[in-house]
Amino acid sequence: MTRVRLRGSLQILLPLLLTAAVFGIWDLVVRVFDIQPYVLPAPRAVFSQIGTDWDVLQPAMFQTIEEFVIGFAVGVACGFVLAVAMGQSRILQRGLYPLLIASQAVPIIAIAAALVIWLGFGLTPKIVIVALIVFFPVVVNVLDGLTNVDRDAIALARAMGANDFRILLHIRLPATLTPLFSALKLAATFSVTGAVLGEWSASTTGGLGVYLLEQNSRLNTAGVFAAILLLSAIGIVGFLLVAGAEQLATPWRTRPTPRRLPFRRSRGVRGRAVPASIKGGSS
Amino acid sequence: MKLHIENVRHSFEGTPALAPTTLDVEEGAFVSIVGPSGCGKSTLFNIISGLIRPTAGRVLLDGRNVTGTTGHVGYMLQKDLLLPWRTVTENIVLGAALHGRVSRRDREEAIALAERYGLAGFVDHFPHALSGGMRQRVALMRTLAFHKDVMLLDEPFGALDSQTRLRMQQWLLDVWADHGRTILFITHDVDEAIFLSDRVHVMSARPGHIRASFEIELDRPRGFELLTSDAFTELKKEILNLIYSETLKQLEREGEAA
Repeated sequence: MTRVRLRGSLQILLPLLLTAAVFGIWDLVVRVFDIQPYVLPAPRAVFSQIGTDWDVLQPAMFQTIEEFVIGFAVGVACGFVLAVAMGQSRILQRGLYPLLIASQAVPIIAIAAALVIWLGFGLTPKIVIVALIVFFPVVVNVLDGLTNVDRDAIALARAMGANDFRILLHIRLPATLTPLFSALKLAATFSVTGAVLGEWSASTTGGLGVYLLEQNSRLNTAGVFAAILLLSAIGIVGFLLVAGAEQLATPWRTRPTPRRLPFRRSRGVRGRAVPASIKGGSS
Repeated sequence: MKLHIENVRHSFEGTPALAPTTLDVEEGAFVSIVGPSGCGKSTLFNIISGLIRPTAGRVLLDGRNVTGTTGHVGYMLQKDLLLPWRTVTENIVLGAALHGRVSRRDREEAIALAERYGLAGFVDHFPHALSGGMRQRVALMRTLAFHKDVMLLDEPFGALDSQTRLRMQQWLLDVWADHGRTILFITHDVDEAIFLSDRVHVMSARPGHIRASFEIELDRPRGFELLTSDAFTELKKEILNLIYSETLKQLEREGEAA
């Protein structure tokens, strides 16, 4: 095995080992201090709870994933569009920024209560809450990306005769990708919290948040932890998907050349005659 | 006359940056502009490129009035300004991309340019994988591929170490000989100006204007041995004296203001 591959597998192995260690310590603590299951169940009890209650947990998890995914997508889309609009117009930026900050300063729980009144108990209020949590970091980061573009790069494009649209398309928008993904990674983990908050304030249809509350009221701590484990899993998988997408979308940050797609392989130029327009006179 | 700059002057919010300046550049010439820092050299370039509309005066390109309009000349700065998300080839064709579509021919031409000028193995690399000298070469290829007869180079090698700089100067002369473009070159390095140019214009202290012009009648092609020749040293002495007196003036003026 080469060193690079060794390091690669270590990168995957290490977090797995540490996770196992956390479960190990957890189990040990429960045994050594003889902790009652309703205070802290052993990991085995949590896993067996997931196994026996899977029929309930699985649809609940899908429900929460649905809220998470749709809310995330809506929040990112709204945030991105808003940031681009604000980036194009200084007046819009000045006017909207205080409103944006206000929208985040109001406790999300308070908004949640109002949303139930306005939107009922269905999927919609949950999506709105997740979207509300997601869109703020997206707006702030994308706007930063848009405004921090090198002024000289824009001057150069302008000197080349480019119009505002082409400058946006080729220079300003690509510059937002890196900050956008920083926001998305944060948002991927916040979104789970958003989904649970949404379920808690409008809980007729079940999700993992609802399941968690039910188990809590029955003092079934193993059930509570089962929900917590699955919620964390959703957050982790969401984060990993975003990080993977980041690798694909911003290859210049980690690679010397773009990933070569199979259908792009033939450049078919090397060895061909140099076009007359650039062929040198001398040398 | 390829480029005719007629009584161009400019003020930023009432502060004069460029005194009335007239400058003629012949087709295919290599012309340098040197002068104390802050004398308005870059302002002059921004006016020629159309980024700034001058307070007064006209810029004529091939007899056509292009004052305050962009897209007529190639422009290159000290910063390479390569877009990090574009490969070498994609950066070279930026001019075409900014005007709509990049054709297959544009791409082929970019690759041919890169291969001709020593970046054959790097056409698909992102800029971060290149050295400073290579990046600056790509920036010049981007300017070449924009297909404008006049190229403005504003201290393009100012950020490079002296060895790389010497090689780049030699290379620029090769490129110029190959393509026969008209080059306007800003530098504060008098050696560089003399080594490269047909003519060197010295600008005065702020607000700048052309203080004196020197014909550089040294044979081409020019090699590094030229840098230590008597003719070269003589010219350099003359130009440096002039710049030095202008810098003193500037310092005195700043002293009075303080």
